[in-house]
Amino acid sequence: MPDRVLHTPRRSVGKSLLLTLPILLWSLLMFSRALIEPGRAPKLAAGVTLVFLVALFFQMMRTLETHRWSRYFFVALGFLFPVGFIWQLFALRGSMSIPVERMLSGDTPFCFLAIPMMILPAAIAKTVIFPGSILPTASNPHAIAAMVAIWLAATLVLGKGWCSFGCFFGGIEEGFAAIPKKPRIRRIDPRWRWMPWAVLAAIVLLSAATLEPVYCMWLCPFKAVTEYPAVRSFETAVQMGIFVTLFLGLVVLLPLLTKKRTQCSFLCPFGAFQSIFNKTSAFDIRIDQSKCTPCVLCERSCPTLSITPEAVQSGKPLMSCMKCGACVDACVRDAAVWHIKGTETGASSERARLMHLYSAWAFAVMFGGSIIAGTLEKLFGVLV
Amino acid sequence: MKRLRSILGNSGAVLTLVLAVLAPFLLFGWFQGAIGAARLHIDPTYSGGEVWCVIEREGYRMVVNHPVSRRLPWQRIGPFVQITWTPADRLPARVSEQIDIDGDGTPDVLVTFDSKNLIVDVTPLGARYRAMHSQGVTSFSALIARVKDGIVVRIPLG
Repeated sequence: MPDRVLHTPRRSVGKSLLLTLPILLWSLLMFSRALIEPGRAPKLAAGVTLVFLVALFFQMMRTLETHRWSRYFFVALGFLFPVGFIWQLFALRGSMSIPVERMLSGDTPFCFLAIPMMILPAAIAKTVIFPGSILPTASNPHAIAAMVAIWLAATLVLGKGWCSFGCFFGGIEEGFAAIPKKPRIRRIDPRWRWMPWAVLAAIVLLSAATLEPVYCMWLCPFKAVTEYPAVRSFETAVQMGIFVTLFLGLVVLLPLLTKKRTQCSFLCPFGAFQSIFNKTSAFDIRIDQSKCTPCVLCERSCPTLSITPEAVQSGKPLMSCMKCGACVDACVRDAAVWHIKGTETGASSERARLMHLYSAWAFAVMFGGSIIAGTLEKLFGVLV
Repeated sequence: MKRLRSILGNSGAVLTLVLAVLAPFLLFGWFQGAIGAARLHIDPTYSGGEVWCVIEREGYRMVVNHPVSRRLPWQRIGPFVQITWTPADRLPARVSEQIDIDGDGTPDVLVTFDSKNLIVDVTPLGARYRAMHSQGVTSFSALIARVKDGIVVRIPLG
């Protein structure tokens, strides 16, 4: 095992602070409204979130490592989003289940996971197969247009990086995967990597054929920790059983056994869909063949099985790479590097990392930060 | 060529950063406006379809929607017609109405419901409509439900 200590150069505190300054100013701007709001809970929540996000960015600048620090944000987002969401549901209607009455009134909060299923019916018949509302209303601020707008902006900025800096579900798996020191299951059949693509193709076609959001109705593991149809029939009981089983299996148990994000790797159709937009992103990860031994540290560290021996040989991860930077952090020979497309591999790796991180973290502060602060505000409202 | 690719790549990286900064101030609004202007509509199986006519009664009104048909033979939801009585608070305890749904001058269904316990009986007066006895939500195409300030009845079509 190569010596990791030799691989951890550090930037000076002063230079790291200077590089953190733009993110500090951006965070102050993003949380300015909450910081001047009356009451202690909003101020405290915004302040804690701001310090947390800025401190993580500082550590990324200081240690030159990305995933090691960004995953704290991602896990916090993954665990705090359901808490805030369930809290809101109980405040609104005293239950996590969504009754048909609220579907009929268009009050179902929209989730980005439904986007791939909506595209064909929207393009062909201008119809949206989701029981929400197109534009925000007083009873449903999480409207379809708002969420799709956020996703479009995120896709332009992050590409598949959404799965590392934007998705408010992936952090749950990331959290469970971080618990064990070593994986119990090391060998995973590489053919499983095709599953998300198969699920994507199936749900897009089935949703267009049935005009129902098939994934939301039958396969989404995160229904177990957000909102599910009220169990009023055998069918809804089966749906609930599937949601809970998939959640416990793919989001809790398998990440504990494999140290991988197994739901993202084996099921998530949105992740597969988002992989397409890696092609339009300005940033990617490359593996410098002249420096690679290969030691497979990058392959082991990748949370989504996006690095294979073939990928290492070709000099870049698979298109499912979500640009978390785990492989770059793990590589002791600096063979795995951040890269700006069109430029030479390894020519300006740190500049590529910085530009990617400024874009990604700006989005993370604005989107994920507001979710974290929102939940903390609810918690502090009770505690303080 | 290498230099051009490098310039383009770096320009893309700078543009990404600019877009990230613009996102909360401009992009969200632009994209949301564009989606709003795309004339998309929520599928009628959820929204109940477009309003066809409003029938006024003393103290309340009935909103009759266009029938929602199955667009694909294997579609699970539909066909049905949705009628909404509003405001629910001003409805008598028992409502009984003969309704001309298609506007041909003759009543098509007799709808009787208990507005407190949400139990509905539908008696078809025309061949197109199906009988229904329902308490609450049986399915998306046969139900009685309190939705916001109205009571919605979906009558299955034959």
